[in-house]
Amino acid sequence: MARVGVFVCFCGANIADFVDVPTVVEEAKKIREVKFAVDYKYMCSDPGQQMIRDAIVQYRLTSIVVAACSPRMHEKTFRKALSDAGMNPYLLEVANIREHSSWVHQKDKKAATEKAGDLVRMAVAKSIANEQLHEISVPVTKRALVIGGGIAGIQAALDIADARIPVTLVERSPSIGGRMAQLDETFPTLDCSQCILTPKMVDVASHPYIELIPYSEVIELNGYVGNYKARIRKKASYVNFKSCTGCGACWQKCPVKVPNEYNMGIDKRKAIYTPFPQAVPNKPVIDAEHCTMLLKGKCGICAKFCEKGAIDFKMVDEVIEREIGAVVVATGYDLWDATPYEEYGVGRYKDIINSLEFERMVSANGPTGGLPIRPSDGKVPKSVVFIKCVGSRDKAKGIEFCSKICCMYTAKHAILLHHKVHDSRAYIFYMDIRAAGKGYEEFVNRAQVETGAVYLRGRVSKIYQKGDKLMVRGEDGNLGQEVEVEADLVVLATAIVPYKENPALARLLGISYDKYGYLSEAHPKLRPVETAKAGIFLAGCTQAPKDIPETVAQASACAAKVCGLFAGDTMKKDPMVSTVNKEFCSGCQNCVTVCPYQAIVTEDIPLGHGAKETRTVAKINEGVCQGCGSCVAICRSMAINLAGFTDPQIINEIVAI
Amino acid sequence: MKKVSYFPGCSAHGTSEEFDETVKMVMKTMDVEMEEIPDWNCCGATSAHTLSESLAYALPLRNLVLAEKLSNDTMTIPCASCYQRMKATKVHMDEDPELAARINTAVVGEGKYEGKVAIKSMLQYCYEDMGLEAIKAKVTNPISGMKLACYYGCLLTRPKAITQFDSPEYPMSMDYIVEALGAKATPFDFKTECCGASFSISDTDIVLQLSGKILEMAKESGAHAIVVACPLCQSNLDMRQHDIEKKYNVKYDLPVFYLTQLMAIAFGFPKEKMMFSKHIIPVDSALAHIGEVIEEPKKPVKGKKAVQAESEVE
Repeated sequence: MARVGVFVCFCGANIADFVDVPTVVEEAKKIREVKFAVDYKYMCSDPGQQMIRDAIVQYRLTSIVVAACSPRMHEKTFRKALSDAGMNPYLLEVANIREHSSWVHQKDKKAATEKAGDLVRMAVAKSIANEQLHEISVPVTKRALVIGGGIAGIQAALDIADARIPVTLVERSPSIGGRMAQLDETFPTLDCSQCILTPKMVDVASHPYIELIPYSEVIELNGYVGNYKARIRKKASYVNFKSCTGCGACWQKCPVKVPNEYNMGIDKRKAIYTPFPQAVPNKPVIDAEHCTMLLKGKCGICAKFCEKGAIDFKMVDEVIEREIGAVVVATGYDLWDATPYEEYGVGRYKDIINSLEFERMVSANGPTGGLPIRPSDGKVPKSVVFIKCVGSRDKAKGIEFCSKICCMYTAKHAILLHHKVHDSRAYIFYMDIRAAGKGYEEFVNRAQVETGAVYLRGRVSKIYQKGDKLMVRGEDGNLGQEVEVEADLVVLATAIVPYKENPALARLLGISYDKYGYLSEAHPKLRPVETAKAGIFLAGCTQAPKDIPETVAQASACAAKVCGLFAGDTMKKDPMVSTVNKEFCSGCQNCVTVCPYQAIVTEDIPLGHGAKETRTVAKINEGVCQGCGSCVAICRSMAINLAGFTDPQIINEIVAI
Repeated sequence: MKKVSYFPGCSAHGTSEEFDETVKMVMKTMDVEMEEIPDWNCCGATSAHTLSESLAYALPLRNLVLAEKLSNDTMTIPCASCYQRMKATKVHMDEDPELAARINTAVVGEGKYEGKVAIKSMLQYCYEDMGLEAIKAKVTNPISGMKLACYYGCLLTRPKAITQFDSPEYPMSMDYIVEALGAKATPFDFKTECCGASFSISDTDIVLQLSGKILEMAKESGAHAIVVACPLCQSNLDMRQHDIEKKYNVKYDLPVFYLTQLMAIAFGFPKEKMMFSKHIIPVDSALAHIGEVIEEPKKPVKGKKAVQAESEVE
């Protein structure tokens, strides 16, 4: 005879305001198998849990029902309470009377109370059929894969490797460094971006626990947490890195000029190139799309000048495999293309640039030697208009979110402009100044006071050309009037958007992404670095726009998560997984098709005892199975059973109401 | 021969007769027969939609229902404001069945609106239905030598959700058409700025200021004249030009043509038929540029190698 204990929670006022909790307790007591029922203000608190532990012993309970919030919130808490009292934790059922009743039926307390009673009856009925289950142990491959070699990927890789866990860092471009390597100085302290970044880049290259694979991409990921297998395509560099000394003779002699991505296309690089002088690894690659030798079979000048004979035009892409246990995704951001701002004449006027172009110009190692210039005539601008929120916070143009970092870097740009061109003036059109961060508000004040930057609160409605000036017409909301500023140069703080191939990467990894292409975290507040897929973590702007300190913090958090995952030799996993009854399985393989986790394969078993003939049946990898139950629903011969959600349990629930 | 319905609107039968006349010439040349909507009524213009939503939809709707009785699949409208009201009614009725049912009752005596007629401004019809190639093919008297600032005003391409045509901020369709006629369209940043519209009557100073800016920028772009496809734009820029010149002590002398006037000239119709006498700013100085050779500023010559695949070889 089952002996069920029912524990109904007030959840402060969350439940009690809309559900008559004592009535629910009284209803529960009417059920034959319920030997004990009680309410309490906060069941998840320690005294609440103690009530459960005591009742288990005192009333010799065989299963427990907690009527409270969603099981997503506290199922683990209550399971632990059961274990502590010596009871199998899977004999717990949670009746969700908060999200499923009190919160959604706030206008009808009577109905909400009745529904809560029904939910409790169902949970009691189900718990009677609960079986003792035991956590599954899965072996772990202790190697992490980090995708993306910007500051997020670098930090995550270094932190994981410092815990003596091997890391494979995959970077799509020829060098690690990412966006941060393109920045001049960083807010709010104006320390040189390169100076603080390049030591970390060198650390990555020399770390005994880091395997750096530049100029490559992840093309496949199979398996499950702790046991992933990644396939990585190493793009042909046409340069043998082992013999190359990085002397530079090749790119000095290469006759082909290509727009330089590192300098945002302001100047040219060669077809054989390293992205920038501090590149790691400091070895050139040949850009196959532009190399005359690779395109037409003529030239080969680089090979002639390479004393080491490191150039190999016959090199081909190579696919390598790595077994890994966890993945950190850090693919970074791009700037939104502002062409839809036709009223600004984006694309028509050369002297409208974006913030990264300005960043490259004022950078000491930039294409203009650290001076901002007008692309139209090369003159140094005296009057520069900065426009914030170009694309961001603009529903009409498709991006509703705030790009977060533009307020700060625009303040920085005003200061840098002042440092480089003393007799210049910055005009900044803004919607709001969002300077929440340590030292940020002070930094914006500094920009205003120290440089005399003119902050104009209002949107720019139009930019037009008059002579060689750009006329920027906007609103000064503080004065309530229209203003026109004569500008030599206009810098747009365009929205931050995720790396354009994020959706494809997300599909490849089996994780989700939002409508903008940002990869989705498992919980916006409590699980901000995990994805919904176990063992895959997010760092940096691939998840949402963020600045360097936040990116570094998130990367370190990823590292902590990875280290935690790898702390034991095996991993524990919930036992709510499907199993196939081979006797009943007809081998239709419908379950293989519907399984969203590729957890089901087929196997051949003898047709009968000792028979040579075989038949095909489904086989479920319990390490991969997430217990969604799709296979149970599709199975025509009812051969699949999902632990924790067996047919008797479900039928009991239905019968109870 | 292609046949379209035609909604002239009040101005085409009055102040912008020269628009109406030249539209007819252009359509004839392009082998398009126009069938005027019988018993059409006022579109409601600015007045109706500032007073009553129902009236603002009901007035154009009656015209739409009448247009559906003709067997043509398209209705063209020369006036930008009429076009805007008709198209807005169509778009909103098509998107919102509840509104459609409600407004339909107002015109129930004329029949039921079914939404089967496409509505196009004259500019849109020229650009989309005639096409640049066909227009070019009919040009017998190219107007090359003329530099023209194409002014679209506020209603021909905006709001985008209604017009669903060209760019709302920097449209190019008219520019392409005048270039097909042989002229040169100047880069003109004020092509969709507000001219002041009907404030011309109630608060003329606003129009002097706004239209003055448009004239100034058109002049600065190097244009000999302005081209429009809207009667009110024409009236404000042309009729108020002397007042503007006087107020700001400047001299623009920029004739304001209807697009169809220039098309008709290019198609070989005699100048005398264009009703230029109705213009305030004389057009002769601008037309005198026809046949001149425009010197293009020299562009740096690119080596042939440079053209390949973004890369360039030294």
